[in-house]
Amino acid sequence: MDRILVEFIKALRGADVRISTSEAIDGIHAAQLVGYSDKASLKTGLGVTLAKSQDEKLAFDECFDQFFKFNSLQSLSEQAPQEENLTEAQIEAALLGDVMSSDQSEMPLPGNAGSQPGQGNSPLGQMLMSGDRNALAMAMAAAGQQANVAQIRVMTQKGLYGRRMMMAMGLEALEEEMWAAEQSNVPEQRQLGAALRNARNLLRQEVKEYVERQLLLQAAEEGKKLRRDTMMQARLENLREFKDVQLLVRKLAKRLAATHSRRRKIHNRGQLNMRSTLRQSVPHDGIPFNIKWKTKRVDRPKVMAICDVSGSVSQVSRFLLMFLYSLNDVLPRVRAFAFSSRLGEVTEWFNDNSLNEALDLTLNTYGGGSTDYGGSLEDFTDICLNDIDNKTTIIMLGDARNNYGDPRTDLMKALYERSKQVIWLNPENRLRWGSGDSDMKCYLAYCTIAEECNSLRHLERVISQLLRRTQ
Amino acid sequence: MNEPNTDYSPSLFQQGFESLGYICNDAIAMAIYLAVKMEKPILVEGPPGVGKTELAKATSTFLNYELIRLQCYEGLDEAKALYEWKYSKQLLYTQILKDKLGDLLKGTHDLEQAITRLHEFGDIFYSEDFLEPRPLLSALKQTSGSVLLIDEIDKSDHEFESFLLEMLSDYQISIPEIGTIRATKKPIVFLTSNNTRELSDALKRRCLHLYIPFPDLALERKIIQARVPDVNEQLRKQLVNFVHNLRELDLKKQPAISETIDWARSLVLLHADALTPTLVESTLNVLLKHEEDINQARSELKQLINKKPKV
Repeated sequence: MDRILVEFIKALRGADVRISTSEAIDGIHAAQLVGYSDKASLKTGLGVTLAKSQDEKLAFDECFDQFFKFNSLQSLSEQAPQEENLTEAQIEAALLGDVMSSDQSEMPLPGNAGSQPGQGNSPLGQMLMSGDRNALAMAMAAAGQQANVAQIRVMTQKGLYGRRMMMAMGLEALEEEMWAAEQSNVPEQRQLGAALRNARNLLRQEVKEYVERQLLLQAAEEGKKLRRDTMMQARLENLREFKDVQLLVRKLAKRLAATHSRRRKIHNRGQLNMRSTLRQSVPHDGIPFNIKWKTKRVDRPKVMAICDVSGSVSQVSRFLLMFLYSLNDVLPRVRAFAFSSRLGEVTEWFNDNSLNEALDLTLNTYGGGSTDYGGSLEDFTDICLNDIDNKTTIIMLGDARNNYGDPRTDLMKALYERSKQVIWLNPENRLRWGSGDSDMKCYLAYCTIAEECNSLRHLERVISQLLRRTQ
Repeated sequence: MNEPNTDYSPSLFQQGFESLGYICNDAIAMAIYLAVKMEKPILVEGPPGVGKTELAKATSTFLNYELIRLQCYEGLDEAKALYEWKYSKQLLYTQILKDKLGDLLKGTHDLEQAITRLHEFGDIFYSEDFLEPRPLLSALKQTSGSVLLIDEIDKSDHEFESFLLEMLSDYQISIPEIGTIRATKKPIVFLTSNNTRELSDALKRRCLHLYIPFPDLALERKIIQARVPDVNEQLRKQLVNFVHNLRELDLKKQPAISETIDWARSLVLLHADALTPTLVESTLNVLLKHEEDINQARSELKQLINKKPKV
């Protein structure tokens, strides 16, 4: 039964519920205390130990209902009605208990083989015709384990595993019997054959659903991990095709914010702060009771981001802006500028609109047109050279392909001298810098850092560096 | 009320709480049951006023354990939460015992001998007699079991949260001068949070997690019945419906159970039998605590009174 719980926990992790090993042990502990007889209390018991926030509770509820779902076999019992005065809840409880506690490699078979006429002879046929939902559910779970359905990873394996499960449940014997019955001359036998065919089709449906459910539960986690890794490395231009990339960016930003929001100061261990210690000693008659050590304050950088939004660079700009504005907690003072031929400030748009709207608005207004770095730098100096002080970080994002125009390195030099640092992010490979109409080599002299930047991993690294800088 | 070793069950807690006037659903009873059985702290979250603190109080009364409460706030530190040395007592004793010390040291010829002699008496001034226990320490020292309520943990600093970890996972704390103090009987620990900030994963990992939402119609009616028995059937129905309708509006602060109870009490004081728009308007300030909310509710008063709530 622990095995089922472990599988359930794996499925939960796939549904974005973060569960550590110790929590998993707690969950198993709790399940033992609560018992498996009542589904509702098992759910609350596990919920208390495994899901640790409101979002996680919602995900947990959904996942639990899906994982421990046993009423799908209803159609079979309707076909062959039996006197059952158990309530739905009781059946579910019984099923849950059975599946959780029975040794599942043993397949339960009805003992009285062939005693009832018209019930078929193969074990599976008997089970189907008797409409015994308990036995069927158990047989299905057992077959699922035998066929290792929990190993399913991709959609295309569905047929394979379904087939394996059917075989494990004894499909061959059933089909042989079905064919034999259909070809016989006795009308009763022929009736039985039709009933068996019907039952087989229903069973196939059930097995298919079972496998699909397993796929959803088991593969979610691995698939997500795989996709995340790919997204981190893919070139930013291609990233648009991933639908949850925004979610990933937000997650990365949140992680950066968490690591950088706490440490406001870095302590220099063992370096005495003489001034402060002397001041503290005044009330104690000059005896240095409270000793003060030197610290460095971690800077909250004032960031100005200048983004080239022409052509291929626009996608990279998109992600840089997305990143910067997701970091609002730790980077409260971001000013954004966009240019291709002319430059303008877009900060307001990001403050007033949602991220996506602002991005589209920016790209529509300033995107397109031939790139003019010289003119844009001129615009930038006109707008805010006076706002740049020694706390300002300027992030320049562009490929420096200037269409053989004047690079205006004198303006770049002015910016470099006034600001704390200039970071240039270039989506092109370092080897191509300076080739053709690229003025990167000219600007390189006026950059504190110049980095190649064309994947989320690069972006994350650069921004992490930016946040770690001390004064 | 109960022997510590009786076999508890979730329903036993539910009934026990009910007899104390604390009406709860299955999830809450289950969480308390697991917390007691697994000896784990329990983190209770939910909007303000749904009875998080009340739950700890009910548990302590039901189990007949002493309730020790630690209210968290920004700047709360070890000295206020755990222990402090009784400095003045130490000072006073050294003054009084000055002569005694002089006698003791008679016959010693140099400083080294004097110190060796003093060492024979151990660290008398840093023993437990000079320790002022604060909530956490006194919860650990309680021999007959206790309920420790760490209220509004989200108001404290990150540092304090990390400091709690040793206490929460092993029920022990370290005092440098004395050593490690272990719990004689593990206390039942409640942490409550209003979610003003995200708690760290390390803390969450060590706790069970219970989320108390606003109650549904039936449960809230039951709570009002238990807490304000003087309200008649019809009025009770009406007022709970009204509050539920109110929660569906887009309010700055939604009325919680504690406000519903206060409102029911004030209606009883006014000898009301049924809700009328004028009555509601004049008592609305018991339920809603913001001027804008009151104005918003006032404009839709009739609808709110008569509409059937969704759930």
